[in-house]
Amino acid sequence: MAEKGLPLPKATSTGTTIVGCLFKDGIVLGADTRATEGPIVADKNCEKIHYITESIRCCGAGTAADTEFTTALISSNMELHALSTGRKPRVVTAMTMLKQMLFRYQGHVGAALVLGGVDATGPHLFTIHPHGSTDKLPYVTMGSGSLAAMAVFESGWTANMERDAALNLVKAAISAGIFNDLGSGSNIDACIITASHTEMLRNVEMPNQRVTKERSYGFRRGTTAWKTESVRDLIVSEEMTWVGGDAMDTT
Amino acid sequence: MDRIDFDRLKTGEVNLGTSIMAVQFDGGVVIGADSRTTTGSYIANRVTDKLTHVHDRIYCCRSGSAADTQAVADIVHYSLQMYSQTAGEAPSVHHAASVFQRLCYENKDQLSAGIIVAGWDEEVGPSVYNIPVGGGLFRQPWAIGGSGSTYVYGYCDATYRDGWGRDETVNFVKNTLSLAMSRDGSSGGVIRMCVITEDDVERLFVPGDELPKFWEGREVLGAPAKAVDHGVVPMAVEA
Amino acid sequence: MPATISISQPQQRQFNPYSENGGTILAIAGADFSVIAGDTRQSEGYSIQTRYAPKVFQLTDKAVLAVNGFAADGNMFVKKVRQRLEWYRHAHAKDMPLRAIARLIQTMLYARRFFPFYVYNILGGIEEDGTGAVYSFDPVGSYEREACRAAGAAQSLVQPFLDNQIYFKNQTAAPGTSHPVHLPLSTVLSLVIDSFTSATERHIEVGDGLEMYVVLAKGSTAFQTLGGVRGIQELTATEDGEKVFIIRRELKKD
Repeated sequence: MAEKGLPLPKATSTGTTIVGCLFKDGIVLGADTRATEGPIVADKNCEKIHYITESIRCCGAGTAADTEFTTALISSNMELHALSTGRKPRVVTAMTMLKQMLFRYQGHVGAALVLGGVDATGPHLFTIHPHGSTDKLPYVTMGSGSLAAMAVFESGWTANMERDAALNLVKAAISAGIFNDLGSGSNIDACIITASHTEMLRNVEMPNQRVTKERSYGFRRGTTAWKTESVRDLIVSEEMTWVGGDAMDTT
Repeated sequence: MDRIDFDRLKTGEVNLGTSIMAVQFDGGVVIGADSRTTTGSYIANRVTDKLTHVHDRIYCCRSGSAADTQAVADIVHYSLQMYSQTAGEAPSVHHAASVFQRLCYENKDQLSAGIIVAGWDEEVGPSVYNIPVGGGLFRQPWAIGGSGSTYVYGYCDATYRDGWGRDETVNFVKNTLSLAMSRDGSSGGVIRMCVITEDDVERLFVPGDELPKFWEGREVLGAPAKAVDHGVVPMAVEA
Repeated sequence: MPATISISQPQQRQFNPYSENGGTILAIAGADFSVIAGDTRQSEGYSIQTRYAPKVFQLTDKAVLAVNGFAADGNMFVKKVRQRLEWYRHAHAKDMPLRAIARLIQTMLYARRFFPFYVYNILGGIEEDGTGAVYSFDPVGSYEREACRAAGAAQSLVQPFLDNQIYFKNQTAAPGTSHPVHLPLSTVLSLVIDSFTSATERHIEVGDGLEMYVVLAKGSTAFQTLGGVRGIQELTATEDGEKVFIIRRELKKD
């Protein structure tokens, strides 16, 4: 289509820094909250950590619509899977569903994902690339800010970290993306998943609050010009005329 | 074919830059691989496991597109499980290689996958099959693959001998991969190896700072140059 | 498969001498003053090259030039303009008038018609008659005098705002009144700050810092309003003439 001179519509992309890291009791996921359309910020506070199951979550980078729909679809299928097997679903199940779907679409579904969760077999963390390849690692980053975030992980990650240390490392990694990558910005979202509990920390850090304007931009009533004016009465009135002679006998 | 694909990978696709290898010896096979996965110049994974289990005594070494080779290996893994359940016996290495070959050949215009299949079976004992990019199938005593392999064909031809034991074969694989990784920019990291014999599958690991060392150029370059003070003051640069 | 390149087809590769370094500049002329501003972020693609690279430069006590586009060309162009102004000073023992600088810039840009300086210029200052002026240029030298102009990455966000607030476009005045022709300095400075904080919110290439230059005509009454401005700094080089000030502000860094 694009070759025939018809330009493809510009998709909203989540420029994005998303990360995940393993710690002593589970997984911490992190994401920034900026969505872009080319150089324009489309959404200053979007949610990039998607629900798969109670103890499995997925961060999405790439085409916003694709990450939104793939995670919603797999979330739905995981629920059905759990219902039909009668077991708590596993992270590898979600990973396999996602990679098989993305591979089938040969990269045309532009979803780059960080999948993390805790199941009966322990904590698991994966990256899934748009063409359907997966990696299993103790700390991962994706999106345009992935290099900035990975620099933080490569220098700061250690095995068996405490919960607070891991959360702080994830915050530092997302901050690196927010401040050094133009595609990422605004706030930090985090999600801590352990065997017993999942804690979604929406906007744990808000380092980029909007400053107050110097002036107020209210407009006087009557600022907008008009060419014609017509006022219509919304009350409908009817006039009734009696055509019958005597009133009906109701005795 | 008058059209040669220069760049089979789609832009942004994850590439297993790769040096992979498999060698048979009397009692089994040794397979090995580097651990680098790249997207362009970025290393997406520095500790990748490219030695993929497809059955109890059959493994494959993957090179080319990460997505394609994972998908193919997953299908073969499934197919071999179905085979062993229905036939009631373990599949031969040749059977596994044939399944790989059929997938790679029939979908050659959509795949970029260079795979080496190796393992041990009841029929012939240890064997190594090479399935290069077009979907051919060749049994070889040793096989190398991936972008790093082009640097070490000469070394392998000059070094390989029939009748080696396990330890000599492991050393050969380790040395070959180390040489390939040092010359090929898209290979690197650590060396992962598997020794597959009738009795078991043994995994070996060589960390990146303990790779076998070969010529590194000190004889030519000499000792590191000492800073010489010429007493020159740097030029003032305008702000 | 369109993404597959085959070598049987001839391929062409070319060196590209230009790049685009983001950022935005803006200038507004008042009755007897002129404000010229720009952000200080310099970027390429999704990377920040530096958080402080000035895009606005004082040329004389009555002229300030803002350059935006390809930073290397911008810096070289300012250097060449300053050299020509210095030669003028040596030859005529006075600063070149603003309208003459504008014409000089036109000829310098057009001289490179077939290998242009990849920059959008906005020149602000005081004319010989003491009025505030803004001249805006395209990369090959087409120019005009205006009351206000925004250029660069966030031009499409800022210029409509300016048209509405400076030229009162799409605003009908209250019955029996008319819109002012010139706004006071305090209003102009507020509009400039709001333009940049807003552009920073919605454009990824705008941010980090803001530099506003204020040029006042000889004996301008706008001088009083500047007294209370936070962190203002005077840059005037000569006495008894026009005055130049700089005001710096922080912008968001994400």
